[in-house]
Amino acid sequence: MGNNKRKSKASSNGRNSRNGSRSTAARVGAHASSAPERSSSKNGGSQQNLRTYNIPDYRLEHPQFEIRQLTGKDKQGQEHVLYEVSGDLDAPVPPIRDSKYLDQQQAIEIYRYMLLNRKMEIALENLYKQGKVVGGVYFGLGQEACSCASAYALDKDDWFAPMIRNQGSLLVRGFRASDTMMQYMAKADSPTKGRDGTSHFGDIEKRNMVSPISMLGDLIPVMSGVALGARLQGRNIAVMTYIGDGGQSTGVTYEGINFAAVQNLGLVLIVESNLWAYSTPSNMQYRCKDLAERAIGYGIPGVIVDGTDACQVYDATHEAVERARRGQGPTLIEAKMMRMKGHAIHDAASYVPKSMFDFWKKRDPLTRFENYLVKEKKWLSQKDNQALIAEVEIVIEAEREVAVNSPMPTPESAEGGVFCENGCHEIKPKYGIPKVKKGTAAYKETEAAVHLK
Amino acid sequence: MQLTYLEAIRQGIWEEMEHDPTVFCLGEDIGIYGGAFKVTDGFIDRFGTERVIDTPIAESAIVGAAFGASLTGMRPVAEFQFMDFIGCAFNQISNMVAKTHYLWGAPAPLVLRGPSGGYVHGGPFHSQNPEMWFVHNPGLKVICPATPYDAKGLIKAAIRDNNPCIFFEHKYLYRRIKEEVPQNDYVVPIGKARVAREGTDISVITYAAMVHIALEAAAILAKEGIEIEILDLRSLVPIDREAIAQTVKKTNKVIVLHEHSRTGGLAGEIAAIINEEAFDDLDGPIVRIAGLDSAIPFSPPQEHHYLPKLEDLVRESRRLKAY
Repeated sequence: MGNNKRKSKASSNGRNSRNGSRSTAARVGAHASSAPERSSSKNGGSQQNLRTYNIPDYRLEHPQFEIRQLTGKDKQGQEHVLYEVSGDLDAPVPPIRDSKYLDQQQAIEIYRYMLLNRKMEIALENLYKQGKVVGGVYFGLGQEACSCASAYALDKDDWFAPMIRNQGSLLVRGFRASDTMMQYMAKADSPTKGRDGTSHFGDIEKRNMVSPISMLGDLIPVMSGVALGARLQGRNIAVMTYIGDGGQSTGVTYEGINFAAVQNLGLVLIVESNLWAYSTPSNMQYRCKDLAERAIGYGIPGVIVDGTDACQVYDATHEAVERARRGQGPTLIEAKMMRMKGHAIHDAASYVPKSMFDFWKKRDPLTRFENYLVKEKKWLSQKDNQALIAEVEIVIEAEREVAVNSPMPTPESAEGGVFCENGCHEIKPKYGIPKVKKGTAAYKETEAAVHLK
Repeated sequence: MQLTYLEAIRQGIWEEMEHDPTVFCLGEDIGIYGGAFKVTDGFIDRFGTERVIDTPIAESAIVGAAFGASLTGMRPVAEFQFMDFIGCAFNQISNMVAKTHYLWGAPAPLVLRGPSGGYVHGGPFHSQNPEMWFVHNPGLKVICPATPYDAKGLIKAAIRDNNPCIFFEHKYLYRRIKEEVPQNDYVVPIGKARVAREGTDISVITYAAMVHIALEAAAILAKEGIEIEILDLRSLVPIDREAIAQTVKKTNKVIVLHEHSRTGGLAGEIAAIINEEAFDDLDGPIVRIAGLDSAIPFSPPQEHHYLPKLEDLVRESRRLKAY
């Protein structure tokens, strides 16, 4: 298994412009642009129309892997197809990149949410082992920085929609750990009252969350529509959702981003490149080098961040959210990381080469952020850190108690609620009555087009 | 005022947009062009580019965006250029929109509307009646008007409804029928059938363009002393079980007539409802007249053969009367 000797170098300011030649122009977020720039080639002629695009890259390392399907033999001489990885898997772990925006207190708050996220999932795993969970458990292990720091960049009036692994985002947006636990246990007091599990719930009243469905990509046009509705009511808001390197293969992903792009809606799409879609590696999902490049095709800014670095995720999301609120349209943020467990609890992920787990284990987002806060920045003393961890454990234990003690729903509660009727909801515009401008044109009486007859 | 079926729909949406600032339209070519059938002709001049949105050719995005906007309290009216293309957005409708209220309690007040139906030689991708895809999909209201009066009253009711409504406009009727439609504000309640013709011998349970074939057949049959009663369902979800039971109890004989394919069609469901509600009142077998179990073909003689015809209904009525 040959190692890839090519090592990317971060530019002096820590940013690496994907096109190299214009690194000074590689500004992230607000200044990022997919607008083409005319090449200043002196050769003239055929190169006159060459266009270049910038994909700002926040990362401090640029790992390159190649994953291939190879046929190997087991001890009995039987042939099996398995995945093999090549690349610089011994590269040193880069530092956390200082945030341009986060202060000490905010950084610690994000760290606390990441801790809650991690400990909640450990509690879920235990509940599963105790036979208290209905169905499987999905984990965001290794992705906590991405979930928590991105959601942290949103304001109260912004909207979001998680995917299955963004259980941390829910905590940041004010849902309780017991909400998610009760969903997994199909309890009567779960947000869906037992009707759905996992992170599949929503709240359009207070927390502005749209429930995900299991089909991937469908949330993207939906969130674009939320931004459209708000804009018609006179508000530019940010609407954030996530998609994986597997989920982005769906057609509706394209439709949704493209709709947001042509309508200039404040979509913030976090593409969680976590390398494995169930058992399929990302190089069998797409051919381009980085998914952020897709932004060029949509005509929107795209940026790359290290998804295991909370500061990078926060900064890129913050800038995308600010753009959205200024009415400057959507942003695609590719967060590079790895799914550190199987697809769900039943899946041991034995298809993943062990060296990949080893590489990313050293990049554990929680450990890195803890070291950064405690050792590097000294924003959190060892003692305060231990106290914080203990506090989070107490919270999770209390939430677990609440969840476990909730009853199962009655069989009859399966009925009803299919339709909104008998005044169960009052529907009114969330951000105020749209101010409509009407033209002077009167009602037009026209014959129908003779399209088909 | 005499209005065509198409004008009645246009007027209904126009009036709702005039009085409710949360109503807006989106769809393909609905703006300056006014829609492939000109239902939204002139809307963009009156209501502006913000409320009359030309979209990319992306049906999942149209439905998704309409749904998202509805979650913020807007009342979007999304046009499908042809209802055949609703299949492109099926997942969005079936798994996202329809299940929302039941699963997590969010109302989705949106209308998905567009032309459906045959008799216009549109071929297999411009003539379909895909309403059954959604009838078997709890959480959606399915509306299929047959007259200008109902079309206007039902589109207004659909826009005001707090649930996702799929509104099938029969394109054969767009310009072929005209009737007096009141100028004042009115709605037709969703889920209520209408007796389009009183009769004593046979109940013809049907909807949309088939209502007019039934009316033609009734005139022929009346000369032979066969008085058929025509029940125009108007809505398929919710379906008016009471009206179905009532007409069966009156005539004791039933023909169910619909345009879409026979197998898994609405007639099977109606027959089951009659079994449940009025089995003892039946004096003969329930007769189905429906499209063939194939795609709807293009060439006029083939399309004619595929679709239910006046002579089918006349023949089956005579046979059932004699039973």
